Amino acid sequence: MTTSATVWLLLCVLAPAVLGCVTLGLPRRAITARTLIALLGPVAAFIILAQHLATYGAASIESPAATPEIQWIPLLNMNLSFLADGLGGFFGLLVSGIGILIVLYARGYFGRDEASLYRFYPTLGFFTTAMMGIVLADSMLITVLFWELTSISSFLLIGWDRDDRHAVKLAMQAFFTTGLGGMFLMGGVLMFGFATGGDDGLWRWSDVLAQGAARIDPTNPLIIWSFVLMLFGAATKSAQWPFHYWLPGAMAAPTPVSAYLHSATMVKAGVFLTGRMFPVFAALDLWGAIIIPLGAFTMVLAALIALNQHDLKRIFAYTTVSQLGLLMCMYGLGSLTYHGHANIEWDITQIANHAFYKAPLFIIAGALGHYISRDITQLNGAIRKQPWMVITMLLAGYALAAGPGTISFQAKELFLYAIYHAQESIGSWWMLLMAMAAITAVCNVAIFVRLLTTLMGWPGGMKPAAAHHHDDHAHGHAEHEHGPWAQLIWIPGLVLVSLQYVGGIAPGLWAHWFAPLETNMVGEIPSALHAFMHPTLPLYVSLIAIAGGVVVGMSALMRGAIVDVHDRIYPALYWLSVTGGGRAFRVIQTGRFRNYIVFVLLAFLGAYVASMVLDPAMMNWPLTESPFEFVPGILLGAIICASAILMPIVQSRVVRVIILGSCGFSVVGMYLLYQAPDLALTQLMFEIISVILFVLVLRMLPDLKETDRASGRWWRFSLGTMTGLAIGWLTLVAAQSGEEPRLGEFFARHSYTGTEATAGRGGGGNNIVNVILVDFRGFDTLGEITVLGIAALGVFSLFPRRKPAPTELEFDDALVRGAAL
Amino acid sequence: MTISSPVLRNSMRLILPITLLYAMYAMLKGHNEPGGGFIGGMIFATAICTYRMSHGAAAQRRLMPVHPRILIFLGLGLALATSAIPLLLGQPFLRSAVGEFHLPFSSHPFHYASAMAFDLGVMLVVVGVAVGMITQLSEELE
Repeated sequence: MTTSATVWLLLCVLAPAVLGCVTLGLPRRAITARTLIALLGPVAAFIILAQHLATYGAASIESPAATPEIQWIPLLNMNLSFLADGLGGFFGLLVSGIGILIVLYARGYFGRDEASLYRFYPTLGFFTTAMMGIVLADSMLITVLFWELTSISSFLLIGWDRDDRHAVKLAMQAFFTTGLGGMFLMGGVLMFGFATGGDDGLWRWSDVLAQGAARIDPTNPLIIWSFVLMLFGAATKSAQWPFHYWLPGAMAAPTPVSAYLHSATMVKAGVFLTGRMFPVFAALDLWGAIIIPLGAFTMVLAALIALNQHDLKRIFAYTTVSQLGLLMCMYGLGSLTYHGHANIEWDITQIANHAFYKAPLFIIAGALGHYISRDITQLNGAIRKQPWMVITMLLAGYALAAGPGTISFQAKELFLYAIYHAQESIGSWWMLLMAMAAITAVCNVAIFVRLLTTLMGWPGGMKPAAAHHHDDHAHGHAEHEHGPWAQLIWIPGLVLVSLQYVGGIAPGLWAHWFAPLETNMVGEIPSALHAFMHPTLPLYVSLIAIAGGVVVGMSALMRGAIVDVHDRIYPALYWLSVTGGGRAFRVIQTGRFRNYIVFVLLAFLGAYVASMVLDPAMMNWPLTESPFEFVPGILLGAIICASAILMPIVQSRVVRVIILGSCGFSVVGMYLLYQAPDLALTQLMFEIISVILFVLVLRMLPDLKETDRASGRWWRFSLGTMTGLAIGWLTLVAAQSGEEPRLGEFFARHSYTGTEATAGRGGGGNNIVNVILVDFRGFDTLGEITVLGIAALGVFSLFPRRKPAPTELEFDDALVRGAAL
Repeated sequence: MTISSPVLRNSMRLILPITLLYAMYAMLKGHNEPGGGFIGGMIFATAICTYRMSHGAAAQRRLMPVHPRILIFLGLGLALATSAIPLLLGQPFLRSAVGEFHLPFSSHPFHYASAMAFDLGVMLVVVGVAVGMITQLSEELE
């Protein structure tokens, strides 16, 4: 592979965002052009990636081939290169492919709403790019970077309805939860990099896959912790219990967003990450011990909650959580062995399966909500109103129920086989897992049966409750559009769900597409026919689940709408931090400088004592030469000391400022005596300006109360004395020259011309102070002037400018003119 | 804050141009002799403030017709641009270019370091901050 491959994949990642931004340049009315340009982004990404995979082949785990690196920030081990192996390549195709359909669907969903489309396509492009970045990046840190970008872009998309405070709150909830996970992920990646050797460590996924097994010590606590941290990131993104609350909350987003982010792509980022970690970390004992129970519990819990919901989007959100739990559990079971093989087969097919039915379900849920209602009790007999939408939904619902004839059926069989095979490693625990999987399957089938009976208007379907509760927070629906564009509101769903039936009816064709991408496979993909011809325990479990699902679905049980208790986690945390923060604020932020200074000085003294304990050499008498040699220096020092002692004694503030000034000017003299003209000049100017500023500010301060000053005076006096002594001591210690050459000598040598130590580069100046300021320590100076600027902006905003009255100005002018004459 | 002392007012008309010139000189020579952007900016700001004391706020506004915050923005922008331009040339952030060039009609080579532009940015910020704070506070008092 050449560098051009890297550039092409970079283009592939950036295309959606760039073209999304291009649409901003179009006039608002140009809806068709806007849609087509926005469409180009994911189309380009899909084509480039497919071309890349066709040219170089999806590299297998044995030889993970990343594209050559382009240096970006080598110091941080962040360089641009891409890894389009089976997993990454598949996810890239999934993200860009569904992205194409979602661009079209959004056109149908928003109709002719110009303002929404104007805002939607750039944001969607931003998200698509972020997602492509996660799945294709080779540098682990760049994956983290894009990971956070998906959190940001999904925040924008969930809080789409900016006037709806509830939606904004839910967007914050999602951002907080997934962003926190991103922090953990970053910690995990950094820890992993340092645990494997710092700068020579493993910072690229391709290196991790190639050398990970050999270079990782599974007993090293750093490695174990880095795994735990990364898994935390994956679990929050993929909505595992107890963090799953953000995903149903994210349903406040418009349906194109839910169909894209919250079913097919972003929530799968955690599964993707788990898949990336799988080849390396599966050797850890913790892998299965954490992931299997976590995934299985999430799977059952969410399936049960899904059954007790009425809003279509919430039903599908909880089944998504359930399916994500299942996928995590699948990777967890993969760490076990069965007849010497890893207990995982066709994992990418299992991931694809979910996307291919869940996104259509969301798409049609949005469409039905647009035309009728999203509340399932309001949808009785909907087939008579919207036949095509209902047929598409039922096709996808059949896949949700994992009925034979869909790839979903085979995926479920593979999962059940994995549980069945796990008995070799985990003993009778497999029965518990099998029961959990069966309960999940019963719930999914029951949901499909309910959808079927309700939408068709058959007996046993859901009926409107007596008290009409309209749960459809629709998004500003304009009047319905007609014509071919309007049909885009359901066609993308049909396109996607048809892939389910391709896999179910023609597994050979499916295998032809997916086998090159699969990295974990031993046998052929099982066909439904084969499963029925050679029945094993998993098939019986499936059949029992289907029968049980039909019974539960038809029965009158569990037909209410419940509130998930986990929805309270974030509000409770929010309340805690706001209330607790408020309390802490009132205790700490007294608004009195004296208290703040006490905090600062105490912290300083504490740090001082701690460093004394750590390095007893600091307690040695620091004076090696006699201090009483240079008479002018002693005189100036006496003035400085005298003014410092006078400061607390004098009462008037203005006098204090003057004394402070005299102290400062004596320091100027000191600098001159010791031949530091730069410092002297700076100090001089600084003293002038600070005295002016002090005098100005002091006039605005209220007078101090005498009683206020008296209390605790001796305590403050001793604190001040101790701090003064400590700082004086520190100055003397710092002036000691140790074994090493002084820093000053280094700068003096390199100020004009460089040596080997600075790679032959000097600052090109003779004034060491200034060369340090603008060259050696230029970064500090840049930061300092930024701080200065911010401080000045603070002053400007503290005292908002008042336009001087014109008469006053004229009077002033006249005065000056008169003076000039 | 107008001090109506004729002595100060008249001497200021002489002092001001010299001080401003010296401030520029200190900034430009800073790389090789005492001076630099920070000091130059301080001297510049002190001169402006003294002028404001002697001639009044309106005269100072005429002398410096831009709002100080514009200077801060310009200075920060210049410093950031100088720091970032090396990135475009494939050099590390803040790498300073050092060299010599010949002015026309002069046989003496002119030594320069691109850090000078950075220094100019520092000076603009310092002038903006010092003058801005002082004018804002004194306007508040008036």
